[in-house]
Amino acid sequence: MQSDIPLLRRRSILAGGAALAAAGRAGAVPVAPTGGIAIVMNSAGASISIVDMASHRQIREVPVLREPHHWTLSPDGTELWVGDAAGNAMFALDPTTGTPLGHRVLADPYQLWVSPDGTRLTINALRLNHVDVYDAATLALVHRFDESSMPSHLTYAPDSSMVYSTLQGSDGVVAIDLTRNKVAWRTRVGPVPAGIIWHRDRLLVALMNGDGVAVVDPTDGAVVGHIHTGKGAHIIQISPDRRVIYVGNRVAGTLDALDGTTLRPLARYTLTGGPDCIAFAPDGKLWISRRWRDSLAVMDPANGAFDLIPVGRSPHGVFLSPMLKLFADEGRAGLGFASV
Amino acid sequence: MIDPFMALAGRLQGEIVIPLLYRFGWMQWEDIAFGWSLFAVYGFFQVLATWAVCMPLEAWRPVERWTNRRVVLTDMAYTLIARVGLLPLVTFVAFYQVQVWVNGWIVDHGWIPPDLELLIPPLLGHPVITFFVYAVILDFADYWRHRLSHIVPSWYALHSLHHAQRQMTFWSDDRNHLLDDFISALWFGFIALLIGISPFQFPLLVLLLRFVESLSHANARVSFGWLGDRLLVSPRFHRAHHGVLAAGRQSCNYGAVLPWWDMIFGTADFSRDFVPTGDPGAPEALASGGYLAQQSAGLRALAVRFRRARPAPAGSSRAGIPG
Repeated sequence: MQSDIPLLRRRSILAGGAALAAAGRAGAVPVAPTGGIAIVMNSAGASISIVDMASHRQIREVPVLREPHHWTLSPDGTELWVGDAAGNAMFALDPTTGTPLGHRVLADPYQLWVSPDGTRLTINALRLNHVDVYDAATLALVHRFDESSMPSHLTYAPDSSMVYSTLQGSDGVVAIDLTRNKVAWRTRVGPVPAGIIWHRDRLLVALMNGDGVAVVDPTDGAVVGHIHTGKGAHIIQISPDRRVIYVGNRVAGTLDALDGTTLRPLARYTLTGGPDCIAFAPDGKLWISRRWRDSLAVMDPANGAFDLIPVGRSPHGVFLSPMLKLFADEGRAGLGFASV
Repeated sequence: MIDPFMALAGRLQGEIVIPLLYRFGWMQWEDIAFGWSLFAVYGFFQVLATWAVCMPLEAWRPVERWTNRRVVLTDMAYTLIARVGLLPLVTFVAFYQVQVWVNGWIVDHGWIPPDLELLIPPLLGHPVITFFVYAVILDFADYWRHRLSHIVPSWYALHSLHHAQRQMTFWSDDRNHLLDDFISALWFGFIALLIGISPFQFPLLVLLLRFVESLSHANARVSFGWLGDRLLVSPRFHRAHHGVLAAGRQSCNYGAVLPWWDMIFGTADFSRDFVPTGDPGAPEALASGGYLAQQSAGLRALAVRFRRARPAPAGSSRAGIPG
């Protein structure tokens, strides 16, 4: 299922991976700016933008194969893994400098995330209708689940026993028991589910062909509530301090802030251009990709004002190097995609 | 720097495509639809740029002058349908599930389709060189697709629609039967499995190649000179392929962008100067009918070919004699 090209620089890279990494490093500046960097996946540009967080300027672009979408940190947090879906490859970068380290051939890595305990890497292969569970240490495929259709986003139970993937082509969510490698349940939750997070013993699922978020019981998939946000709810993420949940509404062109405990609405921000993934900076600002405007919006949630930073074509996943401190302090739960 | 094409595609996506997808409950396609928005914007400007260059050329040095240009209007319809997005959209919808099944089956059986840059790692980070390597491979594949479409009688029954035009202009490039387009899509789908193809990575360069293809059909007395005609397909070179005596099972000058393959495989003919075009053996509806009439005439020609199972139509019996 996958090539023998090692992903990691520390593990004797073979020719293919090393050459590809070297090609990607051509002209690169391997020193990170003191204020940190943003690493942005340009899904229609076959590249990754490296942005100086202090000056708000792109300082270089790292080439990849086709279509980089999402990222996850390696189990020890020393590498940023970026899924290149149409390129059928996962790239490793130094998360502090953006320097490419190597790659591994994997089938259609669209959305990917390492489990909270660091033992599993789950990849949603949206184009191929697969949910693939890998051993995060060896990247050996543990189990492939055929899921129709279009597995999109994913989240884990805090104890890493379950992974939940949205199936945006069939209005569903599938729950996979990672201890037995079996599907626990599969159910319909609403029209075109996309973003999903675990929140206080519930799953919150953004409905892209709906106008908000479905609240789902993770034990059986029953929909137990609905939170109105805006048309085309797509991404759902939680701030590192767990106080605010943000929902990006693709059709409405808005970003809704919900109370992290009660889920009551706190604020609504206008953000057109296809708002997508959010990364949380230490100063409290949100770094948000705008899919159809080739830019990042750096937004102050206190007043909704934002600066725009031009990047590559159709930016999607965003990682900020200061998030490594959150990872060191709180583990994956501090990275914006999972709660406790 | 803002990319004006991307800015327009973003507007199209945000203000027209997304609301429509939401209205009809198709938001699962929103990410993929952005590719179509880009295609439509680039296609529009491609048509505009081709028109801006080729119209003056055709007015300045026409090969033929016609008083009635009604049949050219049909070719304009083909171009707009093919390049501003409708045909790619329909093709995409028809092929999406097929490619999911095929790619999924291949991956399930332990083979992940490679990318050219994985086979030749130094290409990564050099998009212009990478593009030209892809362009050469694709043009080579297209040479054989085109040549086979002349050799296989039932396939030529469809392809003769492209050759039937007696008033060939730069609008004639996309004048194809839908089934012919379907076979082309299958052909390039297979090539994509072997090397990976991502035209949206290189939209401006794709625009340039399509411009060369359109220009090669222009009703213009234009040659690139002795050397130039051997480096890039010119209107003079390609017009020989559309000559009345070159229509059919054995023709010449099959190359779309590069004449090299014709030179290598012995099908190049540089001797002909701006010959009359058309396929005398094709039904009249293929030459002068409207869009639908041409499509149905193509289907009838295919049915006749299957029924008779004859090796070649009467008009093609002269094939092999350069026009």
